[in-house]
Amino acid sequence: MAAEGRLALPLAPDVLVIGTGAGGAPLLARLAQAGLRVVALEAGERHPPAGIATDEVAQAGLFWMDERLAAGGDPVGFGRNNSGRGVGGSTLHFTAYTPRAHPDDFTLRRDTGQGVDWPLGYGDLEPYYDEVEQFIGVSGPAEYPWGGPRSAPYRHPPLPLNGAARLMERACAEVGLRTSPAANAALSRPQEQEGYGTRPACSNRGFCQAGCSTGAKASLDVTYLALAERHGAVIVDGAQVTALLTDASGRVRGARFIRAGREETLEAGTVVLAAGAIETPRLLLRQNLANSSGQVGRNFMAHVGVQVWGLVEDDLRPYKGIPGGLISEDTHRGIPGVAGGYLLQSLGVMPVTYATQFARGTGTWGPALIDHLSRYNHVAGINVLGDCLPYEHNYLELSDELDARGLPKPRVHFTFGENERRMSAHAEALMRDLWARAGARDVWALPRAAHTIGTARMGEDPASSVIDPFGRAHDTPGLWICDNSTFPSALAVNPALTQMALSLRTADALITHLKETA
Amino acid sequence: MRPDDRAAVEAALRGPAVTPPTRAALLDRLNARYDRRYFTPAEFGQLRAAAMRLVPHDPAEMDLAGLIDDRLHAGRTDGWRYADSPPDGDAYRALLAALPADFTTLPAAAQDEALRAVQARLPRTFEDLLAELVEGFVSHPLTGYRFGYAGFMDAPGWPRVGPNELEDREATYGR
Repeated sequence: MAAEGRLALPLAPDVLVIGTGAGGAPLLARLAQAGLRVVALEAGERHPPAGIATDEVAQAGLFWMDERLAAGGDPVGFGRNNSGRGVGGSTLHFTAYTPRAHPDDFTLRRDTGQGVDWPLGYGDLEPYYDEVEQFIGVSGPAEYPWGGPRSAPYRHPPLPLNGAARLMERACAEVGLRTSPAANAALSRPQEQEGYGTRPACSNRGFCQAGCSTGAKASLDVTYLALAERHGAVIVDGAQVTALLTDASGRVRGARFIRAGREETLEAGTVVLAAGAIETPRLLLRQNLANSSGQVGRNFMAHVGVQVWGLVEDDLRPYKGIPGGLISEDTHRGIPGVAGGYLLQSLGVMPVTYATQFARGTGTWGPALIDHLSRYNHVAGINVLGDCLPYEHNYLELSDELDARGLPKPRVHFTFGENERRMSAHAEALMRDLWARAGARDVWALPRAAHTIGTARMGEDPASSVIDPFGRAHDTPGLWICDNSTFPSALAVNPALTQMALSLRTADALITHLKETA
Repeated sequence: MRPDDRAAVEAALRGPAVTPPTRAALLDRLNARYDRRYFTPAEFGQLRAAAMRLVPHDPAEMDLAGLIDDRLHAGRTDGWRYADSPPDGDAYRALLAALPADFTTLPAAAQDEALRAVQARLPRTFEDLLAELVEGFVSHPLTGYRFGYAGFMDAPGWPRVGPNELEDREATYGR
């Protein structure tokens, strides 16, 4: 089946994984280490660190650029934000921010009557959090002031605080908010990585969101995917899955995909769909698979992510240092009239990202625009990452428009609810106060939603969820799902670390399942 | 055209503080030229005139309107669009058609007046166009030089990241 010059695929692997991001990669490594024959299909290409340019436009290949349609009252932009494509998925361009979810993030409904509870708790994930943090090498404080109990401290000391982080530290101290160096999955000292080699300490190049050029950041290509390949996993890049294969009984038997313009198929004992909260439901909806609950595509969520920016006298050089150096989680709970809460973080920023956000957010043009942008070296940012409740009115559907590959474009409806609006207003007021104390002028706020979450939720009840608490599709044999589509609620933290922990947990369950059914 | 700026940019790009992929990308962009292929000559004239008011620049240095024409001709997207907007090319054409027919020959103040009207009438398309022009402008190495942006010279790393802690190559680059 292998054409000339292309990777020959192993026949009938035990497990086929679709997607190599934070959902697919740790699981792929775990299965390979267990001796299973595993293949991963990745729509994007490989992006080794040595080929990464310090330039946002040149790095557009890290993003999913097939057009998606943004609908609703607060449409979510995709492309350069909220998408990923490549071996390593969106971790290629994530900021490396890796806070753990808090125990009460999983019990929002029990605690507040709003949202939904998870069918698992912090205690189920803690050993996996710990394992992931140690393996990928998270840098963080010796004692983290918030959240649940930890079985071990962070492996490496925290990264240095850049200009925005120091401004936020000072302003928070004035108002009595506790701060801490944040947990970031970028190395503050070198680390050996099985299957990859030595990863160096971070050079304080603040272009994490355009890809890491040194391997200091723990994108999955230099961590779990290197481990997976060391243990025999085959990763096929440039292979975009267009359909799942099913047999007469309804069991999923493999996948159809396009590689270098040609259609191919690969059969496998089990398929793990790990394509993310947009592409996973997009694939399932086309075949109406795993959807007896009617929940595929439902409950799309995106974190409250309002940012506040200002100009300061100091020469900050916002392209330097880990972008999210400082954190406060004092606002995790206790906001009047709001269920859930948010974390606060300082922000470095790359020039094109800042400039386009300023233009979109303020509508400024002409000489006033140029004048503002020319002060980029003095830009200081701060933002929040807040929980988002699942709503009936937020969902993904297939549109009638076809993309260049002939596949229907997804249309994603998103409108903040009252809870998100209140949270966003609270956060903006707090950050404006902090930035006033920091001496910032020309302060402006950008209301924003970040991350793609939900659309194939996990749960105990097959009538109201797509997969069980371990990732197995309730109604479709041979199919597991492991990506952020499965989150029942958004959590008040960035999703990558939790996703990696869930990935290992799903892998352990799948290994057990395969042994039991062998 | 300011040949001294260009020489300073080229010298920095060829220096040891720039990694090979960064150098290749920025030199390409510094020298990029585009042939009009998507818009009609009349549309393109309107687009260029609007672009020069929205993001003042010298088209002989950086062809921001040409960059958009090139993208649309190649069928590239930025990964999303507002669901209630037509595809980018159609939306931009509609925006240009909403400008006065004699837009290119109007005095600057009248051009700005017309652009403000379009911003109010077609806010999302206007926003997309503005953002695309800004991206082309800010990512151009000459703009970076004029704004004192030195972030691309990162091969040696940045040992100091605090406020006002500049390396020599940061302090001396730009004007």
